[in-house]
Amino acid sequence: MKKTFIIWPLILLLLTSLGGLSHAFRAQESSQQDASKPPCSDCHVCASPTKADPCLEICVWTKAKAGKAHTPDEGPDVAMLDQLEELYGPVTFDHKHHAEMVGMGEGCAICHHYSPPGKFPPCEECHGDEPSEPQTLRKPGLKGAYHRQCMGCHREWSHDTKCIECHLPSNGVDLASSPLDSTDILGIEHPVITPPVMRVWTTPYRPGPIVTLHHQEHIDLFGLRCVDCHKQENCSYCHDLDKEARVNKTDEEIHAICNDCHLSDACDKCHDTGEKPAFTHAGNGNWELNRFHQGLSCRACHPTGRKIGKLSARCSDCHGGWNQENFRHAVTGLQLDEIHVELDCSDCHIDLRYGRIPRCNSCHDDCRNHEDAPPGEYIRMLSSR
Amino acid sequence: MSLKRRDFLKLSTVAACLGATSTAHGMEDFTGWPDRYGMLTDTTLCIGANCRRCEEACKRVNERPMEGLDLTDNSVFEQTRRTDPNSYTVVNRFTVSEDSENPVYVKKQCMHCNEPACASACLVRAFSKTKEGPVLYNKDVCIGCRYCMLACPFRIPSYDYFDAFTPQVRKCTMCYDRIVEGKIPGCAEICPKEAITFGKRSDLITLARERIRHDPDRYQPRIYGETEVGGTSWLYLAGTDFTNLGFSDDLGSMPYPELTRGFLAAVPIVLTVWPVLLTGFYKFSQSREKAEVEAEAAAADDKKGWGDGYRHE
Repeated sequence: MKKTFIIWPLILLLLTSLGGLSHAFRAQESSQQDASKPPCSDCHVCASPTKADPCLEICVWTKAKAGKAHTPDEGPDVAMLDQLEELYGPVTFDHKHHAEMVGMGEGCAICHHYSPPGKFPPCEECHGDEPSEPQTLRKPGLKGAYHRQCMGCHREWSHDTKCIECHLPSNGVDLASSPLDSTDILGIEHPVITPPVMRVWTTPYRPGPIVTLHHQEHIDLFGLRCVDCHKQENCSYCHDLDKEARVNKTDEEIHAICNDCHLSDACDKCHDTGEKPAFTHAGNGNWELNRFHQGLSCRACHPTGRKIGKLSARCSDCHGGWNQENFRHAVTGLQLDEIHVELDCSDCHIDLRYGRIPRCNSCHDDCRNHEDAPPGEYIRMLSSR
Repeated sequence: MSLKRRDFLKLSTVAACLGATSTAHGMEDFTGWPDRYGMLTDTTLCIGANCRRCEEACKRVNERPMEGLDLTDNSVFEQTRRTDPNSYTVVNRFTVSEDSENPVYVKKQCMHCNEPACASACLVRAFSKTKEGPVLYNKDVCIGCRYCMLACPFRIPSYDYFDAFTPQVRKCTMCYDRIVEGKIPGCAEICPKEAITFGKRSDLITLARERIRHDPDRYQPRIYGETEVGGTSWLYLAGTDFTNLGFSDDLGSMPYPELTRGFLAAVPIVLTVWPVLLTGFYKFSQSREKAEVEAEAAAADDKKGWGDGYRHE
């Protein structure tokens, strides 16, 4: 009898400790599984949050944090906001154009605030049908949330609060039959966003008052996105029905934009007595591109960083992976014959200087003219490069 | 009556002290019901033109006539309106010099003061501050003196001048009936931008401070109604100086009833102590007079008796 008194608690102790152990294992497993997710400390400010006290940061996702690594294409082109029809019909929300534009301001988080890590849920996932109550003061209802987000900017833009700027009239179009089209909002075609080709300013800088910006060139050739230069501009900086685009930046602000890339350039890089010509690789880069390189974007050869610097003229510095086995010599215009195709590249191209056409007499003492006895068949005439 | 002068003075001093301390205790230590509700109007959010849904909802909840209410008619903003018996709330437009293109709209209604001047001025206690927060009017006891209208620092209560038989003083009730049912006031429910928020007053002050802290460029660092006239249940946030939006800046932070509290507290003392005191003085002087008269009479008697005797002799 006495023995059982001792044994039972021991068994119980053993069982509970086993349970605890397995629980610990499971916890370890689950923490390993969650390794792909962002770290807990991104949202929870204390070391051991509980369900009762999650100690969440008030504004978890700062604007910059939430705005990165998302593209406008991830969201819908057009969203139909038709959950709350009352006086007015639904709103066709041109999500795509808005998403493309917010990059110039504060990013997606300008609307998708307090989003959980890694995703941007639609408004109705958090905002319910009812307006905020004493228990939920900080979370307006869906209607309030929509109006707060949209009208903040739209009122600055139009200086008006006309409902039909966004809302379809309640007797409006048959939505089921009309496909959602991001170019057609409220029956108005959205204007195409056309960046200017070139802009010329006259400045008070005496040695070179004229500044030319080949705007299109910066987009097409240099591969810059709008946001690379147009940073932190609020919507009404451009969108104001009463005004032309406001140009009220200070000299420092304007120079700061260009200096992102042109910091080490002298003043005369931009300032001149007349309009600067457009960029050519031969003129600005002192190296005329051959037919193979002409079609490439700048970034294909100048990938590192923002600054486009001088590259090595040695072909092998970029095309180091080519050898006599994997390089099709025919693309140069010369199909090598059976004898020459077996040779190593450096046998003919001394010092790997591919820019020059090799001379026959470095191997062949009889030194016949290259054209008379080519090392293969010419498909096209060779250029000097 | 055998009250000595010294005893009487002692008694009256004690009575006066008791009266004074009891009134002081009753008024000073109470800072309001802790969980009382309030409203926060964020004037930077108000849509104003083409909206005025709060006015519509207010009329519907309070069963006021809807005639003449045209929400699309923006000409009403051409003049600054006041509340009237049919409109417990009105939205006014203010153009501010900082941003003349974007006018500011301000909803006006009863502020539901923590210590309402209307209730203090009322002779018959027709106004009461409820523990939920709203200041309510009782039409059954009102005598129609309209002192409340004069007393209100925000000029809110209005009178049914055109009702000859059953006129009432009318003003916003903060939808008291809806609050006790667990609903939120009509204007807060309908506001499309939730520019009006209903909640516990203490929570609303925290919320308002958060908004100011998060967006200091947008807001003035001030919550109107937090301390004005001792604090009000209705609170306001604004992006421009409150004086530009028709708010008085000179109301002070002292509750209006405080102005008359000293006088009104003295009334019971005067009413109870003075009669006793004066009666006492009267009795005292009367008894003294009587004694003097008696003494005089006795002296006269003595004189007379002596004279008589003298004469007799």
